[in-house]
Amino acid sequence: MDLDKLLAISNKCIHSEPPVCVASCPVHMDVIAFMSEIEKGDFKKAYKLMENKIPFARLIGKICDHPCENVCVRKDVGGSINISELEKVVIDLGYIRSKKSFSIPKKKGNVAVIGGGLSGMVTAIDLDKKGYQVTIFEKSNRIGGRIWDYEGEILDKSIIEEELQSIEKKGITINYNTEVFQNDLQEYMDKFDAVYLGTGYWKKNYEIDPNTFQANDLPLFIGGKIHNKSDSIIFSVSSARRAAISIDRYISKSSMGASREREGIYETLLDYKVDDIVSVEPVQKETEAYSEEEAVKEAKRCLKCQCIECIKACSHMQKFDITPDAYIRRINHNERIILGTHYANKMINACTECGLCKEQCPVGIGMQDIIHETRESMVQRGKMPLSTHDFALKDMAFSNSEHFSLVRKQPSKEQSKELFYYPVIAFSQYARGLYKGSGKTGYLFYPGCQLSATHSEYIGDIYKHLVGTIKENDADKDVGLYLGCCGAPADWAGRQDFMQENADKIKRVWEEMDKPTLILACSSCASTFEKYLPMIETVSLWQIFDKYGLPEVDIKKGKRVLNIHDACATRHNPKIHESVRNIVKTLGYKIEELAYTKDKAKCCGYGGLVSYANKAQAEVFVKDRINESNEDMLVYCAMCKDSLVRGNKRTYHILDIIYGKEMNDASLQKIPTLSEKNKNRTKLKMKLLKEIWGEEQDMDLMKHYNFKLNIPDDVMNIMEERYILVSDIEKVIDNARRNNERFFNPDTYNYLARLKFENVTYWVRYEEKENEIYVNSVYSHRMEVVEE
Amino acid sequence: MKHENEKKNLWICDKCHKELVSEKTKVRYLDGNFEVALLKCPECNLVFISEDLALGKMLEVEKGLEDK
Repeated sequence: MDLDKLLAISNKCIHSEPPVCVASCPVHMDVIAFMSEIEKGDFKKAYKLMENKIPFARLIGKICDHPCENVCVRKDVGGSINISELEKVVIDLGYIRSKKSFSIPKKKGNVAVIGGGLSGMVTAIDLDKKGYQVTIFEKSNRIGGRIWDYEGEILDKSIIEEELQSIEKKGITINYNTEVFQNDLQEYMDKFDAVYLGTGYWKKNYEIDPNTFQANDLPLFIGGKIHNKSDSIIFSVSSARRAAISIDRYISKSSMGASREREGIYETLLDYKVDDIVSVEPVQKETEAYSEEEAVKEAKRCLKCQCIECIKACSHMQKFDITPDAYIRRINHNERIILGTHYANKMINACTECGLCKEQCPVGIGMQDIIHETRESMVQRGKMPLSTHDFALKDMAFSNSEHFSLVRKQPSKEQSKELFYYPVIAFSQYARGLYKGSGKTGYLFYPGCQLSATHSEYIGDIYKHLVGTIKENDADKDVGLYLGCCGAPADWAGRQDFMQENADKIKRVWEEMDKPTLILACSSCASTFEKYLPMIETVSLWQIFDKYGLPEVDIKKGKRVLNIHDACATRHNPKIHESVRNIVKTLGYKIEELAYTKDKAKCCGYGGLVSYANKAQAEVFVKDRINESNEDMLVYCAMCKDSLVRGNKRTYHILDIIYGKEMNDASLQKIPTLSEKNKNRTKLKMKLLKEIWGEEQDMDLMKHYNFKLNIPDDVMNIMEERYILVSDIEKVIDNARRNNERFFNPDTYNYLARLKFENVTYWVRYEEKENEIYVNSVYSHRMEVVEE
Repeated sequence: MKHENEKKNLWICDKCHKELVSEKTKVRYLDGNFEVALLKCPECNLVFISEDLALGKMLEVEKGLEDK
């Protein structure tokens, strides 16, 4: 994978973009951190934050003309935050005398600062800090300039004096009563390495570089009022700071322009949306200044604007407490290390690849493709943890084995002739459909491996309905049946080898069937077909139902309100969203849309095989989704139902209401175990073969043993958790009994047996009473024990 | 991973009716090859792995090797 390209994507993430208040502050006060400290009541830390960015913070903080407030995002939802008032109270409550800093040797050069007003003072102390010998030339008998205009009401004389004295204390020379004129300038420029002009007014007009503040390529830098042409305090401060940076670069002969893009005010890329923000009025001052309590309350109004659009919608990024830019950097590291632990594996395998982040992102960054590519790369480099997707891949292999896989054309007329007599032919649309058999497969019903495992009872009826209804509308097109797995697990696991092999197999079947349209009942199948088999035309079962009509069953018209949980795999398929809603309304239900719906659907936690790779993460997804919903849920993906029901949410599959099941029927809210799912698939295959095609399966698909297993519920729950199947246990016990390979505990009369197949060794502890086996415990390991 | 098997082991080999003995045994997973003391039947070499060992130390080592 192209890691440089990946890192370029991370640089586009605007999570770290500053809010507009900071971007509009000429000195970039960290407003969010400032507000957060006030909220916590830590005024000292809040003051420190001011001091970090604002020189003479104790003075400037009180007289700043606060351009930040005009652009505050809160402006339209209650009113701008009173940032300037908060700065004042923070100075009053949080000022701490700064520790005497060690003065560094002034060896870098000499700078003359002409004018000891606001901007001159700032340039002087900044250059002093950088190691320059600074001399201020002030025409009057005191420095401070405009600051003295605020003496009395806003600033105490004693505080102004104390702050100004600090300049001389640093060792900066101040020449009072020394007015410098135009004619003297050249002399100053000759004598000093650079000159800063901050007199507020100057007769001669210089051409000043707006970025470096340098005048006419001379060793002369001009800031403050002369440059800004305004009375703004904070712009004056900012120009002085920036001029000091330029003077440093000028004297040390480094680039004047490099990496200075975001000095001064700039446009932030952050466009914080206030659509969901509740309006809150500014806190009014009881007295002249905010009290501590008022300040805390006002700071709480601050929205702390930051782009978290993806994170607020994603349980995965929340759980790992990570932003997309940081995520990508971790992937980059994980991909590059050769020796050592790949710490990001767990995170990478806990993303559902649902694609919601991309829908949310204002700049279009999506983790889905990145995670997918990363997993493929891990597999190719042999760095994908073996156990992570092992069970899911075995499950896929099962579905594509003779235990489930099945392809059949519509039963021929010859095969079905016993149905073509009155009254069957009159009352059964299915029989009439068979009667119209053309021998040309126009449609192939592909219910998918999961629906067939959890809702197998519907599959035969759906097939018959499809034959009846489609043949009635389009007599030329027969409807065939194809059972199997589309390969989604391989795709999610990054196993391109399995995925391609599977896609090729499906393509061959489709070609042999004369390229029919596939009718899909699973949203994951739909997206897998779109991705890997774009040549195959597909249509969702729900669209067919919506178009040709629902099965005629005794529909119990529902009056309930349902929340529809859209399948994340259908995100970009509005036709499916529409058909599902039409069906639900036709059946008499009211729909209440969730906040995250259709193209913004949230994943149930199954996507990306997360429920196998990281159960705890999958559970967070489920909880998050359930918390959003006040009504019963309606889903149209078997795995969504599985996940939500496990989270104890009353959930219906759309087939449950189509087939008019009693809504209170508890069995609707029961999810089969992993072993039952396999059994359901195989039984479905055998049942369909027998009922529809009149074929008896001669192969022994259900293995029978000479013992009977008894597995208590608690052990069954453990098996589910550990991904151990009943068929695994049967093999272990069968081997133990045949070959006497087992341990015996004479105290408890327990047997303990093991058997390794494929890459896992399974252990079963059990009791035996003749042919009755009572299972007490099961576990497994992957580490291979060499018995020699 | 030594001495991880049951402190007082009551299991016997059902085939050989022998008490189990602790012996250095080779285990391997991915690129990891180790020799650890495990309980086994002295006659048929059937190795005993307890649930605690399988889901404790063994799993930890498996996960560690998988992330290497």
